[in-house]
Amino acid sequence: MKYISFFSILILTCALGVLVSLPFGQIPPLAPLLDPNHGFWQNSFSEDQLAEESLDLENLNAAVEVVYDEQLIPHIYAENELDLYRAQGYITAKHRLWQMEFQTRAAAGRLSEIVGPMALELDRMTRRKGLAYGAEKGISYLTENDPATLALVEAYADGVNQYIAQLTNARLPVEYKLLNYRPEAWSAYKSLLLLKYMSDMLVGDRDLEYSNLKKILGKVNLDRLYPDFPIENDPVIEKERVWDFTSSAPAKPDSLNYPEETLQLEPLVQPTEGTGSNNWAVSGKKTKNGNPILANDPHLSLNLPSLWYSMQLSTPTHTVKGATLPGALGIISGFNENIAWGVTNATKDTRDWYKITFQDASRKAYKYGQEWKPTEFRVEEILVKGQETFLDTVVYTHYGPVVYDQSFKADRQDVNFALRWIVHQGTSNEQKTFIQLNKATNHEQYTEALKDYAAPAQNFVFASKSGDIAMRIQGKFPLKWEEQGKFFMDGADPRMEWQGFIPFEHNANTLNPERGFVSSANQHPVDSTYPYYVFDNSYEHYRNRRLNRELAAMEQITVEDMKGLQFDSYNLQAEESLPVMLNLLATYGSSSKEAQKYLTDLRAWDFFADPAKKGQTLYSIWFAETAESVWRELMDQGAPVVRPNNYQTIALMRDTPEDAIFDVHMAEGVQTAQYHVRVGFDSLLVAMKKWESKEGDYGWADYKKTTIQHLVPTFKAFSVPDVYTGGGAGILNATGPRHGASWRMVVELGSTIQAFGIYPGGQSGNPGSRFYDNFIPIWAKGDYVDFGLKKKGDQKGILFKTILN
Amino acid sequence: MKFLLFTLLSALVVVFLNIVAPYWVVMIAVTALAALIRPTVWGGFLGGGLGMGLVWLGQTLYISAVTSSTLPDKMGALMGLGSGLSLMLLTAVLGFILGGCSGLLGVMFRNLIQKKPTDVYLG
Repeated sequence: MKYISFFSILILTCALGVLVSLPFGQIPPLAPLLDPNHGFWQNSFSEDQLAEESLDLENLNAAVEVVYDEQLIPHIYAENELDLYRAQGYITAKHRLWQMEFQTRAAAGRLSEIVGPMALELDRMTRRKGLAYGAEKGISYLTENDPATLALVEAYADGVNQYIAQLTNARLPVEYKLLNYRPEAWSAYKSLLLLKYMSDMLVGDRDLEYSNLKKILGKVNLDRLYPDFPIENDPVIEKERVWDFTSSAPAKPDSLNYPEETLQLEPLVQPTEGTGSNNWAVSGKKTKNGNPILANDPHLSLNLPSLWYSMQLSTPTHTVKGATLPGALGIISGFNENIAWGVTNATKDTRDWYKITFQDASRKAYKYGQEWKPTEFRVEEILVKGQETFLDTVVYTHYGPVVYDQSFKADRQDVNFALRWIVHQGTSNEQKTFIQLNKATNHEQYTEALKDYAAPAQNFVFASKSGDIAMRIQGKFPLKWEEQGKFFMDGADPRMEWQGFIPFEHNANTLNPERGFVSSANQHPVDSTYPYYVFDNSYEHYRNRRLNRELAAMEQITVEDMKGLQFDSYNLQAEESLPVMLNLLATYGSSSKEAQKYLTDLRAWDFFADPAKKGQTLYSIWFAETAESVWRELMDQGAPVVRPNNYQTIALMRDTPEDAIFDVHMAEGVQTAQYHVRVGFDSLLVAMKKWESKEGDYGWADYKKTTIQHLVPTFKAFSVPDVYTGGGAGILNATGPRHGASWRMVVELGSTIQAFGIYPGGQSGNPGSRFYDNFIPIWAKGDYVDFGLKKKGDQKGILFKTILN
Repeated sequence: MKFLLFTLLSALVVVFLNIVAPYWVVMIAVTALAALIRPTVWGGFLGGGLGMGLVWLGQTLYISAVTSSTLPDKMGALMGLGSGLSLMLLTAVLGFILGGCSGLLGVMFRNLIQKKPTDVYLG
């Protein structure tokens, strides 16, 4: 009897102990999660409650001091660069480990390892685009050509890895506990992969859609509805700039044959609309204190933990501060004691598709001119949680990987197109650019630093204490003949090849232009006199003009003025289109009481998209519905296409309201722009009726519902929903529902540098910390925190200090 | 008496050992302690359970008080339990069950290896 009861209790207890250590479906192991000494409870502590006076970091040449200010921004003081980046890796990992690991796993196409088969399609897509392939080539390039940079990237990795080795269960980020996995070792490769991932986030192409459009609309209508330059072009590099070089661009070959089938494949995932940025610099002659002022606000997905992490990095020879990308070395957008710089996405079609004609089903060779070129096979091993490893064979041509094929999204039989993309080339060294920029002291060194930068192409704004302001559109841009890469190309025709790259010296740039400012907002980089072919589908037409108008009109500029401009919510598109729409609407629907109410709101609106403005809500719905109606027939052709942009749509409605393009073939009679404006208005009434009965108030912020979302969207409790803030797409404060200013910085380069910054998040990656989202209310109001440089030994405003040795 | 002593010592084991060791090591320690002290069967279960359950509850209360973190509420929402309070209770209940079973096992083990002492006194 004694034996029976002992053994039954033994089995029961052991079973219980094991049971609570196992996951059940999506439920993580209960005991490790709930144990107050090691589980999630421990993640309730904020960093200052866990402050350590000293920590062990091996392989340092000298002790490193880390001083946190009251916002938990670390200021790292090291004696040399190797120590500096080792400490940067260590400290970044301490606050953002889960995020940097998660992002690089996503970039490597390894999410299935963590979340299981639901991520398999995404992982296959990521791998087939060749990001990891590009990062591998990047590492071999560094090994052979730039061991100095590689040593720094490896020091950073060592810092991250030493942190991981010291990590206790108690301090393990809560996301690991919830998703039930552990961090793995960091490597130099992962840092490079992260920069490739940025390209993936920022670079798109519309080759497929334009190929379809050419077929549907014909070349003449395509050029009319989708012109390469808008009527009122206000480019990044001022129009007055004279290009004093001859183009090395090739002439367009005669009688080219494009792949002509009706194409119906699914296009590659594109960067979400609203992804963009502003940056500018004003020269001393336009500012109150006579110092140049520089401003930068990159717009990206609004996520938690934030994409950005602020730091100051100091050695005895340089001190630099600003925003870092966890996982990459140095400061990405920031300033040092002599210069400031910032980045916006320099959109330009740098991703092209080539139709591949395989010799036979084995796909071992493909046609190229008169010969058959051999392919390479790359087998991607995708580990899947709870399942067998998935093997995916990807064919590589000399152009690049064949993304869609018989085994992947084979909606039709001949989906064999190869992707040519600069990220596949190993010959770039973006990490070196940032390391050099961090130390640069003048315009010459800034230019030199950018030489190694290939992708994603950026508009690098610059200002120096010595009074220079500059802008350079930097990236490795393929040399193209007119319209090359706008449509799908034939990979068998060597004349379709990229013809080399635009020389560095010919990349558009300007230094101290007459107008006293430089600026960029993702618009056309240049005007039509630039001697190289420039094309992209997604150029901005409103933010840039608002920005340049304001900058041109401003004098005696202060830092406060520049902060105000970053938060500017003026909707130029509404200013230009609402009167046209009201005019076309005429007296339509005015008998209804509701319609009267909305029209009164709209007429009273001053075009500012402030949080409480009702006019912005009504306009945004009305315009969206109108444009939807105008292009419905075009979009319903059964093949993926893109709509003409809003600027073009509005120009047509205003200038040629009777244009045949407005006629709806399905409807009786002849339709004009007026018809669509009225259809849009009816839809507005329907949408508002629904909204008002369900949600009530329709002030802009209440309608827009800006959400800063955790990187795992299902972790809703870790997101911050319904942030009360204004702005929107096409507006300088570009904050929409899910996208917006992910980092704002304003720097005045006087004898003492004045700097301010903010981002929608917090320095801590831990959802339990008081520093997780403490910047959000400040950001939402358009306020900033002080980002001034701190000298070693400054005692003011210190949260705590840690010595690494 | 033995029950109180065992409850108190179990609690101390949880307080000090759990800082450095995971829950299952604590369970083994509570089992060993029960075997050593040998409370009654019910005493073993209740003592181990209260020792571990109350300490875990106390620790969650302490952490919540000193951090005023919103994390327990966020985790509660995430796990579909509502508030942080229910997570606190869940933690306490889990601690109680783990500690209780361990205590019970310890007593059973002692009973198994030790001959019933009744003979001695009856003799």
